[in-house]
Amino acid sequence: MNHESRKDRPKKEKPKYNMWQTSAFMIALAWREKEKKILVLGLLLTALSVGINLTNLFITPTILGLVEDRAQLSLLISAIAAFLALSMALNTASTYINRNWIYGKITLRLSLVSLLNSKMATTSYPNLYDDKFQKIAAKTNSAINCNTAAGEAIWGTMFDLLENLLGFAIYLMLLSAVSPVLFILITLITLAGYFINKPLNGYGYRHREESGAIERGYWAVRQYAEGPGLAKDIRLFGMRPWLKEVYAKTVDAYKAFQRREANVTIWGRIVDLVLSFLRNAIVYAFLIRQVLAGDLSVSLFLLYFSAAGGFSSWVSGILGSLLTLHGQSMEISTIRECLEYPEPFRFQDGEPLTADPEHPYELRLENVSFRYPDSEKDILSHVNLTLRPGEKLAIVGLNGAGKTTLIKLLCGFYDPDEGRVLLDGEDIRKYSRADYYRLFSAVFQDFALLPVTVAANVAQTEDAIDIRKAKECIEKAGLKEKIESLPSQYETLLNREVHEDAVMLSGGETQRLMLARALYKNAPFVVLDEPTASLDPIAEADLYSKYNDMTKGRSCVYISHRLASTRFCDRIILIEDGLLAEEGTHESLLALGGRYAELFEVQSKYYREGENDHA
Amino acid sequence: MRDKDKKLLSFKESWQINIRAIKLFWKLSPKRIVCRTVSCFWNALTPYVGIWLSALIIEELAGARSPERLKTLVLATLFSAALIALVQALLNRINHIEGDTTEWFQTDFMLSRKMMDLDFHIADDPETRKLLSTIRQNSNGGGWGIHLVAGNYERLLQAVLSLLGGLTLTVSLFTSRVPEQAGSLTLLNSPLFILLLLAAMLAATLLSSALSTKADSYRALNSSAHNLTNRLFSYLGFLGNNIHLAADMRIYEQHHICEKYNKDKTGTFASKGMFAKLSRGPIGLYAGASTAVSILFLTGMVYFFVCLKAWAGAFGIGMVTQYISAISRFSGSIGTLFGTLGYMRNNASFVKLTFDYLDIKNTMYQGSLTVEKRNDRQYEIEFRDVSFRYPGSDQYALRHVSMKFNVGERLAVVGMNGSGKTTFIKLLCRLYDPTEGIILLNGIDIRKYNYDEYIAIFSVVFQDFSLTDFTLGQNVAAAEDYDGAKVESCLTKAGFGERLKTLSSGSETYLGKSFSKECVDMSGGERQKIALARTLYKDAPFIVLDEPTAALDPIAEAEIYSKFNEIIEDKTAIYISHRLSSCRFCDSILVFHKGNLVQQGSHDRLVADEKGKYYELWHAQAQYYDEKAAE
Repeated sequence: MNHESRKDRPKKEKPKYNMWQTSAFMIALAWREKEKKILVLGLLLTALSVGINLTNLFITPTILGLVEDRAQLSLLISAIAAFLALSMALNTASTYINRNWIYGKITLRLSLVSLLNSKMATTSYPNLYDDKFQKIAAKTNSAINCNTAAGEAIWGTMFDLLENLLGFAIYLMLLSAVSPVLFILITLITLAGYFINKPLNGYGYRHREESGAIERGYWAVRQYAEGPGLAKDIRLFGMRPWLKEVYAKTVDAYKAFQRREANVTIWGRIVDLVLSFLRNAIVYAFLIRQVLAGDLSVSLFLLYFSAAGGFSSWVSGILGSLLTLHGQSMEISTIRECLEYPEPFRFQDGEPLTADPEHPYELRLENVSFRYPDSEKDILSHVNLTLRPGEKLAIVGLNGAGKTTLIKLLCGFYDPDEGRVLLDGEDIRKYSRADYYRLFSAVFQDFALLPVTVAANVAQTEDAIDIRKAKECIEKAGLKEKIESLPSQYETLLNREVHEDAVMLSGGETQRLMLARALYKNAPFVVLDEPTASLDPIAEADLYSKYNDMTKGRSCVYISHRLASTRFCDRIILIEDGLLAEEGTHESLLALGGRYAELFEVQSKYYREGENDHA
Repeated sequence: MRDKDKKLLSFKESWQINIRAIKLFWKLSPKRIVCRTVSCFWNALTPYVGIWLSALIIEELAGARSPERLKTLVLATLFSAALIALVQALLNRINHIEGDTTEWFQTDFMLSRKMMDLDFHIADDPETRKLLSTIRQNSNGGGWGIHLVAGNYERLLQAVLSLLGGLTLTVSLFTSRVPEQAGSLTLLNSPLFILLLLAAMLAATLLSSALSTKADSYRALNSSAHNLTNRLFSYLGFLGNNIHLAADMRIYEQHHICEKYNKDKTGTFASKGMFAKLSRGPIGLYAGASTAVSILFLTGMVYFFVCLKAWAGAFGIGMVTQYISAISRFSGSIGTLFGTLGYMRNNASFVKLTFDYLDIKNTMYQGSLTVEKRNDRQYEIEFRDVSFRYPGSDQYALRHVSMKFNVGERLAVVGMNGSGKTTFIKLLCRLYDPTEGIILLNGIDIRKYNYDEYIAIFSVVFQDFSLTDFTLGQNVAAAEDYDGAKVESCLTKAGFGERLKTLSSGSETYLGKSFSKECVDMSGGERQKIALARTLYKDAPFIVLDEPTAALDPIAEAEIYSKFNEIIEDKTAIYISHRLSSCRFCDSILVFHKGNLVQQGSHDRLVADEKGKYYELWHAQAQYYDEKAAE
């Protein structure tokens, strides 16, 4: 077994912060978030638990002593009454506080969730694709996602440890009155049990990757089976038996895993029962001898016998909570590492920028090269491009040519490896990146419909919505009629994932909502990344003309692989193999007879022939 | 704030639901229930052995103090404790293997299996989805649901057994008599007094558990608020993790709205929220009162009765410890018994939802005719005055559609978003049955065919198709085992050949990380090609493509078009696209508008009709490509 556990032990990762530092971090968090109550209630609960334990320890021996000594009846009655009153008060208070302690814990976990979410949503974009950051970020999830996760459970562990230490100290005093040898023996036996059991009980934890892999597979199969995504495919391709088979195999694999685990942990139970046999034998022998020698009354025998058992559980309690605290603090340390992950971009420390929609900004790529971290060649190399104030620029090219990368460099999501991105001649790296993003209104292919009202989705805030402006933008985007036909109109909630009665907008309507959102933001630059891919021809044509209106007087960058849609642009650039291959207007590029003309030919062939046939 | 109209079920109803659920558990795994039952007996009864032996030791110490007898008693205590623990460990081992997670998987997947087995139109019904989602949320967020039933059964049985065990050790407490010389304490011998005492204990127990059930009911009754908050939290708490939304979130600074919700202290579970208020008030007070009643009346009466009797000389002090320990367990069990009953009642309304879901019946008519496997693949499909409404909708998605087509034809379906194109396909593949009218295959109503055989003649790539995280080959074959050469040829036909060569594991490449850490992420265009290969692998006479090239660039798109005839060979192709240029190679085009089939014919004929919808659609696109129109 030793051999096995050594083999399977994962490499020791040293967390950045130890458990005292993380405990201090959590306490500071409680302070900062004005949830000091969590500490007060925790301390009260600890005191109450120890109090209840002591009451239970003393009640029977004391009363037994009174009966044994034939004390006065009134004394007996008042002793019972006193114990009962004490026990009732302590237990009732403990129940009440216990029911109230959880909310502070949840609030603090939520504030960790919020901190992490904001970090993820604002961290320098390249961090999101950084292996180390991704690993840390992925780990933080399990530390905050439920009530038993470390971010909440650590409070219970911290106060458990405190309670065990307190109990240990009190019982130590109690037992040392009988015999120091006795409590040393008990301590040794308990320690032995703990250290033999630790590797055995840790089997599941050490092999969590194995069980985690099985669970991951299960979650996927469950999602395939019951989720809406695959429902049609399951039926049309007859996938049912396959999925059921995979499920059955998953359960078998898990059972086999649990069998292996149970076959190890059972030895821990056996060691436990042997050791408690030993411990009780010693305690019995020791105490009974004293009683027989006349040094101990029967009631004290009972007291010390219970105290010996209790002492042993305090000792294992201390070790157990230290172990748990260690594990949980590793997770909290990961949270801190994520929050403190260095930012390659400037934010607060950058020069401030104010977006002025009237200002004629010029944006320029100067000899820009860029390659993705794990790639062997540049996705863009030595690109020079100037977006003049008020210009409409289209970027075309095949999938993977680098169109989206170019947009990401312009928007400041990536910094170039070589060359510079210049705003009115100034390198954008010196500005606060959050301020820089305010210069852009964008419609990307992926976006979130927030679980808030239509108006709030347009304004992207709930607190200071300029409702007139929101309505105006919705009208300009051609969505007024639809929204006003809904019972709650602009107050209609969106996002079915959250609000079960939310309104479902069609693909085209959602695109218009995104357009309204971009209009509302009213930023100097407009960026459109293939926004019409799933629309029908008439909706598509309508949106093109809306984009055209919307971008009047603005600088605009437009990506599409529908070449036709780029015709409202002043200038078209074609990207191929990381290079700016062709540049010009639609007419000049066609006249050039290069790659653009070829692509256009491929796409327009059928249409043109159609016209010709018809004509 | 309480959920509207939400009430606890009646005791009888909740009992019936729990019984039904236990039967279900028995069906899922009889071994597990047997195991749980044996454990209950063992765990409930064995503690009394220790209590009894310890009492004997104390009795001996307070009385005769015979070293020999003490030695025997101590050894008996030690060995019996070891034996009990050993058996318990063995039982736990079996329970761990058969139970816990395994049992959880079984009850959990039961719901997923049901969803797979439902007719598509029921599985697709928002009401069905909402029901399952509510069941899942009650279980994830509040911990309520059918998975609790087996554990409750175990607690209940153990409590009852423990009561019985406790009784046998305490019968003598009531029968032993206080000696006459004890004066007024002889009252303790009176049967009436004992009866009153027992009645008072029972009343205290009932009161205590009623109070605790009341405290718990607030959580059960507010499960909707609970679930909404959990949904908000799951969405807004982790939105930043979605790497695809990263650009959008940064441009629109969406973390502000997330923060507003995530840090809202008045949120359902936060420190100034609804449950915190309820806990400072009724939840905490009822729970506290339950504890107070139980200690004051139950524990209190026992202590007084036992101690006074002992003091009056009815029995020795060894028995005092026996009675007190036994009755503490005994009254603990009464508490568990009533607590569990209350818990089962609180849980029953959640289990009921599960049964409501499991009881959904498939309603689609299943015929028995076999679909001829014709070598010449001569099939003819006809829609005869077909109208269709989605369940729960009062608007027709399709109206009076009549059309006919033969195998081997190339059919295009065009129209604006929401015009009924995809609905037409869903009816054709019998994912839905028409509300009015009939669909015929070779002149026979398609409902009369065996469903599986009918559906087998169609192979479809839906616009919202999905792939799994299994291997490339398994995805193409839609099965565990596949024919490698066939997979490869289908992938090549679908334009995936070049990419396949770059994959070091070939068809064994996993497409996602659920089943292997070694996996390759495919782009949208690549996934579309894989889905296309899947339809080719199925080799069905009808092949339906719903926007199969939306994610492809012009070159890849043109490549697929040019190879189209080769790809589909002698199959019938039905093709939906917004790129009207791609319809030109089709024999016939169906034009849908607002649920009606407004035009049908060849491209040349349709485009000549200047008042027709097709003309409008065509020109909306062609204007960009046609030089004359552009100028």
